[in-house]
Amino acid sequence: MESRSPWYLAYRRLRRNRVALAFGALFVAIALFALAAPLWASHVAHTTPNATHTTETVEVDGETREVVDREGGPIGPLWLGAGGRFFLGADGHLGRDEMVRLMYGGRTSLFVGITAALITVLLATLLGLLSGYYRGWVDGLIARVLDVVWAFPVTLLGAALGLALALGGLRIGPIVISGDSVWVPILIIGFVYAPYVTRPVRGEVLALREQEFVEAAVSQGAGPLRIMFGELLPNVISTLIVFFAISVANSMLLESMLSFLGVGVQPPNTSWGTMIAEGFELITSSPLLTVLPGAMLLLTVLSVNVFADGLRDALDPRAKRRLEVHAGQTEPEGTAA
Amino acid sequence: MRKLQAVLAVAMLTMVAIGVSSCGSSGGKEGGTLTGSYASFPELDPTVAFSAEGWTAMYDTYLPLLTYKHAGGEEGTEVVPALAESLPEVSSDGKTYELRLRKGLEYSDGTPVKATDFTASIERMFKLDSYGSSFFTDIVGAEEFAETKSGGISGIKADDETGEITIELNRPRGTFTNELALLYAAVLPADTPAKNLTANPPPATGPYEIVKVERGRGWTYERNPEWAKSNAARIPEVPSGHVDEIEISVARNSSTQVNEIERDKTNWMQTVVPADLYSKVKDKYEGTQFRIERPINIYFFWMNTSRPPFDDVKVRQAVNYAVDPAALERIYSGALAASHQVLPEGMPGHESFDLYPHDMAKAKELLAEADPSDREITVWTDNESPNNDAGAYYANLLEELGFDVKLKTINADVYFQTIGNPSTSNLDTGWADWFADYPHPNDFIEPNFAAESPFNLSRLDVPKLDEKITSLGEEQLDAQVEGEYAQLDREIMERAPWAPYGTNTVSTFVDSEIELDEVIFNPTMGQDLTSFQFK
Amino acid sequence: MARFAVRRLAGAAAVLFAVSVLVFVIFNVIPNSDPARQLAGRTANPQLIASITREWGFDDPLPQQYLRMMQNILTGKVISYETEENVDERIVEGIPETFSLALGAAAIWMFFGILFGYLSAVRAGGPLDRGLTVLAVTGISMPVFWLAAILLNYLAYQFELVPAGGYVGITENPLEWAQHLVLPWVTLAIVYVGLYSRVLRSNMLDAMGADYVRTARAKGLSEHRVMTRHVLRNSLIPIVTLFGLDFGALLGGVIVVEGIFNLNGVGQYAYESLINLDLPPIMAITLFGAFFIVLFNALVDVVYAFLDPRVKLGSSAR
Repeated sequence: MESRSPWYLAYRRLRRNRVALAFGALFVAIALFALAAPLWASHVAHTTPNATHTTETVEVDGETREVVDREGGPIGPLWLGAGGRFFLGADGHLGRDEMVRLMYGGRTSLFVGITAALITVLLATLLGLLSGYYRGWVDGLIARVLDVVWAFPVTLLGAALGLALALGGLRIGPIVISGDSVWVPILIIGFVYAPYVTRPVRGEVLALREQEFVEAAVSQGAGPLRIMFGELLPNVISTLIVFFAISVANSMLLESMLSFLGVGVQPPNTSWGTMIAEGFELITSSPLLTVLPGAMLLLTVLSVNVFADGLRDALDPRAKRRLEVHAGQTEPEGTAA
Repeated sequence: MRKLQAVLAVAMLTMVAIGVSSCGSSGGKEGGTLTGSYASFPELDPTVAFSAEGWTAMYDTYLPLLTYKHAGGEEGTEVVPALAESLPEVSSDGKTYELRLRKGLEYSDGTPVKATDFTASIERMFKLDSYGSSFFTDIVGAEEFAETKSGGISGIKADDETGEITIELNRPRGTFTNELALLYAAVLPADTPAKNLTANPPPATGPYEIVKVERGRGWTYERNPEWAKSNAARIPEVPSGHVDEIEISVARNSSTQVNEIERDKTNWMQTVVPADLYSKVKDKYEGTQFRIERPINIYFFWMNTSRPPFDDVKVRQAVNYAVDPAALERIYSGALAASHQVLPEGMPGHESFDLYPHDMAKAKELLAEADPSDREITVWTDNESPNNDAGAYYANLLEELGFDVKLKTINADVYFQTIGNPSTSNLDTGWADWFADYPHPNDFIEPNFAAESPFNLSRLDVPKLDEKITSLGEEQLDAQVEGEYAQLDREIMERAPWAPYGTNTVSTFVDSEIELDEVIFNPTMGQDLTSFQFK
Repeated sequence: MARFAVRRLAGAAAVLFAVSVLVFVIFNVIPNSDPARQLAGRTANPQLIASITREWGFDDPLPQQYLRMMQNILTGKVISYETEENVDERIVEGIPETFSLALGAAAIWMFFGILFGYLSAVRAGGPLDRGLTVLAVTGISMPVFWLAAILLNYLAYQFELVPAGGYVGITENPLEWAQHLVLPWVTLAIVYVGLYSRVLRSNMLDAMGADYVRTARAKGLSEHRVMTRHVLRNSLIPIVTLFGLDFGALLGGVIVVEGIFNLNGVGQYAYESLINLDLPPIMAITLFGAFFIVLFNALVDVVYAFLDPRVKLGSSAR
């Protein structure tokens, strides 16, 4: 029997999970939607996400209508009535194009979520490897630091940092980050979630450390770097992948919460979170402005979560197999030799 | 309304004591418990409260020597005697003010009001570092007292026997009569501790006293028994009120407050109806439960005249021409009363004019003439709606005019500290507002345009204007002085350091049980609690 | 055992100390946020600011200010910069509301979480499982404040099914207490049910393949008995741990839900203090929150160490 790499088997398992694939495709569709923002903005809507149209009018089916009426009420969705302009209507007093903002907001939300998750996973990998390999006082120190961050209620820590940095910006050596840069929430969120991923990674590394192949490598004179990156890391990668996906979901939600509180993404940048906050002011008169960005966020996070579940099932066959056996389905597929 | 039976009994007795003079002129009921809601919990210590909410809350509880007439509109800007017998006698050099305390006045705890209590109350203002103390630093000995907090203020002489109070100033101060009518100068017992007493408010001199305070959640008023007994007959200028009890609760969400009024669960909301519901409420209830009020404030865009490109008057005038009232009307959901000058309507000394009616073409023309070389500017605004939208609109407008704009949005709680801080860089232009402390034009002009003033955002420094501001500030307000202020308003706008765009109106919104027409909105103090009456 | 407990609790104290220093540092490093200016108000003149700085000691060295702040918090004398009220008292006053909200919602989501998780596990792979999983995952993919805003708008404002927030004490009127809390409870429950149902499901599935379960089945116990007696019980332990771990995330939900529904609890106070840049309450509330998290985790660790031999025995029983 041919031996297949565990990756290939995982891939095949994933392919068979149609629900996960469907949601994965949904995520890709949303990402494309967000990436298409500049195209839509310049060719269809002929505006930018921050351009105001407070006193302008649009032609809809031969009728001239105000983008924002005298009481500040924005125009509703026009769909293609004005050639794609104000497809989803205007966003409130300023008359900005809601569709354009939704797309650009998606870009920011996705960028913040993915980058923050990357930072979380990188930090967790580093700390987990160091902790698990060296054990002893290194582990003790890292564990204490994690405990401190962990002790903070996530939202309060993120909000406190967001507030402080939004006002003052960040200066690390020669690097200066302005208070309203999108990197501020990225760094904060990435940092705040690090303990939640580091703990399980550290646990796995500690367990792996005991196994024979590591002892063998050590006795062969392999240095710490080789062991950490050559032996330990490859065995935690599947865990890291799943945690990365989960972190993307959590980061996007945390960003929206912080932006809603005014301590996340700062104007003039737009994210779905800031859009929900702005829409909240007009929730009774124009509920769509709150529903739309929230629904987009929900769909995105949902698809990431479902896909992450699928990844987990694919990469860790034990749980899935037990499930299938118990449900009386086909016997487990061939195992790697 | 739940305790109506018991309350009516009390009301009967009270009415007998007060007599007919305090009854309302219409056929409304006397008595009842008024329920109201605020969106934030204000200071309930008159010496410290600097917010409109606090002043509305204490207008009818703590009385200074003078007060603002219990009326709306222009009439409400008149200063009338409260604890004092009459308006002060001012010496010809404008530096000495003489008043006499009425005899027989008592606090809600039964103790008599003494002239020396006034002195102690002013000293308390300095001991507490109250914002209001800046209006009283011209009193002889006040600055020294502010530093040392000991030794008393030598410039105030009070005689408990005669009730005579004499105040000496270092220099003539035309606004002083107005300042004596502010709550900061409310007379409290001399032994009132020098700390913020919001949790346990001091004894009252007015018709209502605060009997219960739950920090952050609400507070309750009841009729002040000493008012009916001792003070009411002696102070005809202050009405005694119709309702017997007032329960105020704090509800953060203003949409919820509106909801409660519509459902008749709360009688009145002090908070402004939010933009989201404004047009709906106005259409449905205007005239029956909703009324628009004009406090004295001005909203504007300031321009830093001390650095390019706004050091060129043509650029500033171009901005004034470019700002579109139609846009701002929408941004404020129709609650904005447009105005393009410094002194708003309702302020004595206001005479309407518009030097720069909206004209985009003219704006671009002026800008082309001026042709500023420095086109990189930073626009500042705070993060509260709709001011942030006004700022975003303004930034967009400047971009349209050909500037390279960076918009900085600052948290509302530190916004004014940030733009007022001389060490903040790139203070080119931005949004701001200004609310009257009292209805005297100097309160608008001096802090904003006097060269020495730390709040002069536009950094306007024209010696001729400065001299005029100072000299007018020393005059007592009369028709001629008002005319000169109107002229000054025009001269300032000719230099266009600001692009003012209007007054943000507020509203009185009550439920169906309250007589809307009886509710008085004093432009300085807000709604008058003594004017609320059940139908 | 006792030594472990003491060491663990000492570690917890050290962590709390570090947390307090971190919060203090974060807020004192902000430029343009001079607490004296904040206390003085918007248009304060320089003399006023100087006077306040002197009185409150803002020009003292930072470590001294930190010590003073900590002393105040621990002795219950902290004064807020924004409102000059006693912070500790205000926090204590908010506890009934916050506990009503958190415990009520927790009861609901735990109940449904366990129910859904159990049903999902015993019917694993079937349509019920899939349906419940979709619901669960949808719940945890929603921003809490968004759900709160939508429910408030439609159920309370538009259709007037429930009151639009506010709080009535349980001692005042139990019916109204529940009425006012229904919407906030449901909001939090929808979001957190998913977390627990999925964890329970996965734990149960793991357990179902374990040796002691096979033994129980071999002994002839009914499937139902096996599920509830053995599988469920053992799967519940990690749930408890999960509650402690997620407590931090839960607090975030409580903060925004209290703010939107105007429940005047500790969460709303935190919300307002953040918006007002009011350092003393933020520090005090963060410390109290951290205190509970750390305490809970320490207790869980101690309890686990205590239970350890039994757990080991249970999973490898023949």
